Amino acid sequence: MALTRRAFMASGAALTFVVGSGGILQAATSDGEETQGLAANAWVRIDPDNTITIVFPSTEMGQGSSSALPLILAEELDADWDLVRIEQLNRDDRTFGNPIFGGVLYTAGSTGVYGYFDSLRMAGAQARRLLMERAATEWSVPSDSLTTEPSHVVHTASGRRMSYGALAALPGPLPAIPEVFEADFKARADYRLIGKDVPRRDVPAKSSGRESYAIDVQVPDMLYAAVLRSPVEGETPLEIDDSAALAVPDVLQTVELPDGIAVVAERLEAAFTGKDSLDVTWSETAPARAFNSTADLADYAAAADDPAREGVAWRSVGDAAAAIETADRVISADYLSDYAYHAQIEPMAAVAAVEADGRGAEVWVGSQTQSWTMRTVTEVLQTTPDRVRLHMMTMGGSFGRRTALTQEYLRDALLASKATGRPVKVVWSREDDVKHGAFRPAAAQKLRAGLTAEGRLSGWHHRIATPSVIAYFNPLRWEQVAPKDIISVRGSESKFYAIDDLLAEHVITERRARLAPWRGIGASYTSFAAEAFMDELAEAAGKDALAFRLDLMGDNMRGRQLLQTVAERAGWGRPAGDTALGLSFAGYGDSMAAGIAEVAVDRDSGRTTVQRFWAAVDAGLIISPDNALAQIEGGIVFGLSSSLKESITIQNGEVVQNNFYDYEVLRADEVPEMDIRLQVSDGPPTGIGEVGTPMVAAAVANAFYALTGRRLRHLPFTPERVIAALA
Amino acid sequence: MTDLVVNGESVTVDAAPDTALLWVLREHLGLTGTKFGCGAGMCGACTVHVDGQPTFACLTPLDAVAGSAVTTIEGLPGAEDHPLKRAWVAEQVPQCGYCQSGQIMRAAALLEENPSPQRQEIVAAMSSNLCRCGTYKRIVKAVQRAATEA
Repeated sequence: MALTRRAFMASGAALTFVVGSGGILQAATSDGEETQGLAANAWVRIDPDNTITIVFPSTEMGQGSSSALPLILAEELDADWDLVRIEQLNRDDRTFGNPIFGGVLYTAGSTGVYGYFDSLRMAGAQARRLLMERAATEWSVPSDSLTTEPSHVVHTASGRRMSYGALAALPGPLPAIPEVFEADFKARADYRLIGKDVPRRDVPAKSSGRESYAIDVQVPDMLYAAVLRSPVEGETPLEIDDSAALAVPDVLQTVELPDGIAVVAERLEAAFTGKDSLDVTWSETAPARAFNSTADLADYAAAADDPAREGVAWRSVGDAAAAIETADRVISADYLSDYAYHAQIEPMAAVAAVEADGRGAEVWVGSQTQSWTMRTVTEVLQTTPDRVRLHMMTMGGSFGRRTALTQEYLRDALLASKATGRPVKVVWSREDDVKHGAFRPAAAQKLRAGLTAEGRLSGWHHRIATPSVIAYFNPLRWEQVAPKDIISVRGSESKFYAIDDLLAEHVITERRARLAPWRGIGASYTSFAAEAFMDELAEAAGKDALAFRLDLMGDNMRGRQLLQTVAERAGWGRPAGDTALGLSFAGYGDSMAAGIAEVAVDRDSGRTTVQRFWAAVDAGLIISPDNALAQIEGGIVFGLSSSLKESITIQNGEVVQNNFYDYEVLRADEVPEMDIRLQVSDGPPTGIGEVGTPMVAAAVANAFYALTGRRLRHLPFTPERVIAALA
Repeated sequence: MTDLVVNGESVTVDAAPDTALLWVLREHLGLTGTKFGCGAGMCGACTVHVDGQPTFACLTPLDAVAGSAVTTIEGLPGAEDHPLKRAWVAEQVPQCGYCQSGQIMRAAALLEENPSPQRQEIVAAMSSNLCRCGTYKRIVKAVQRAATEA
């Protein structure tokens, strides 16, 4: 996002508002001396020239909330969108942190719009009302005789109108912050911005190479650093021979880091050459040397299978064990999923300029959290936030990659800058990014369910053996939420179905890789298992997969409608030919999605292709339908890519893959035709960034079964696994 | 010292002959519209034109382009009014946006060679470039739009 600051030219005062989760906390007029955009903690500012500046409290990684969040406030403020400027929040100011995360500034879990919706519309409505009261005083008319048009208060009876900027600049005291009630919000039918496909603000710059990402930042006197990290987690350098690295022209020095060595150079190419020239003897004693993904997944499967291994209940309804025990038949199946890598196209990068005393810094970084980025700086430099200036850069994709409590790419830039006394840009190579990635965990899942003699579901037991992601990537958060790990097991709650007796439980296994949230988090594999198993149950019950699911909808009318919509669009029920259809019904949080994949298989090569994908999605109120569609399209592609291709393997603690030639992601010629229906319901917005992903894998597996009569129970469905399944 | 022409201007670059053109463009010349993604010619984020041909700048050493004409996203004719840039906005293609310079340069080379490509020709050409946000469907539509409106 462009962060250009407009010099304050017009005379008169600006009106500023401080916003918190309950709406406006404070309103003030500035004296016109302020020239640096917003006052320290103001979130909305109305200038005499009618410019309205709205702070964007999340960070932008492609999801579009940098447009959507300000737009919600602008809608209730009745602002002229063309006069709205958006400013990135570059501080750890928790007065307006995400209410979903206890006020931490954290952009994840499809919670931007969902978490901020009420706060933003409350603040917008209060600011509008305050402006109306100013106009009422100015004109000596009752405030209920006034209305608004975009960025103007209007007194229809007299024909008077006044712009928001002019109202902001009026002298005199401000009225008290108005109370606003549900009835005061705009009726949805009156929305001018929400639901209207207002174009994203960031698209023009991103369509012309003008957008600036952390990796693009250049500051005067800047050096470059490339970092050689220990090949295995936990190893340290025993001996470092940097003579060859230091002999590379333009290499200035090496800096020892907690888990590696930075080569600092005047030029990026020299830093990379220097890194390749390092001769380091690493310790060989770390426990992570024993990490082997194939054996480790087998251990997880054994844990899922072992009734003696206790699980942490994620969701428990009724008595699943008893219901299964008394059922006519018991069906069971095991599912596996491999580690997956984020593969965001911008490799990790950060710029840090540490001050001479080593305690102050200016940093440019992409991350999903101002709070943990600030914490990284203050911890590394042992300093306080007032000494730190953040620039939260637009990210070249993230998908969960930049969420950790400690951001090591930033840490390394800080340490290298501190050591050299000059600003330093750290750039990871793709190989660094893969080898030192933090992955979606591998998981083994056991599903058991009972069927009655009539073929109806009687008890559902979903056991997920996988490590805790939160315990690793954010130990502070784990102290608050342990032993419940939403990142590891989300989706297994299967709450969109009316199942009377259900137990979803997390068998917390040993962590055997670096882990991080990954688009769709647990739902990307728990929904695969649950929805593939749902088809297995339907078949065992002798029922159609759609009818079996509809029978479990209970009073979930929105879900029922989604299933019917997607079935109708896809022509569900047609017999398999060269291709076949597979159904899935999943979601993310409170957002629901039904999907149907049309799959073809080349039996010789084992290559599975998805030719068409139909989806119907209900995410409550949609702020921008076109952006919502874009997110679902992207979520489906992400889900397909991980279903068909993506797997990280680990041998003796080292990540085997290197780059996009051995960690392949979906390309343009592998993308299906997509038919997506948005079902806009009365509820609040429930999040759109991840709901496209969880349904995909099971839809593909179920279509594969319809086509071949064979089950795919191990993600991803690589050609060799497909050939094995067909054998 | 290596002489080349970048976006129509003659430049002399003081860098080792084996320096990747990508680093020359981004870090020496400050043309950061061209992106680093993989360094292996696998993602296409660094796609530029060398004497009109789409080229992975990450795999191209500086001495290989001595005397050549290099065009980056910043040098496409018409600036913001270029048909592909307009089409990218009209189709609201970008999400994170990081790969899009490379996508646009790939598309520009395609349309230069084949002004009215069939859909499958577009898909085939664009398959050299990765988009992790999954904007492929819109990329294809935008190229079709640009071909029609150019």
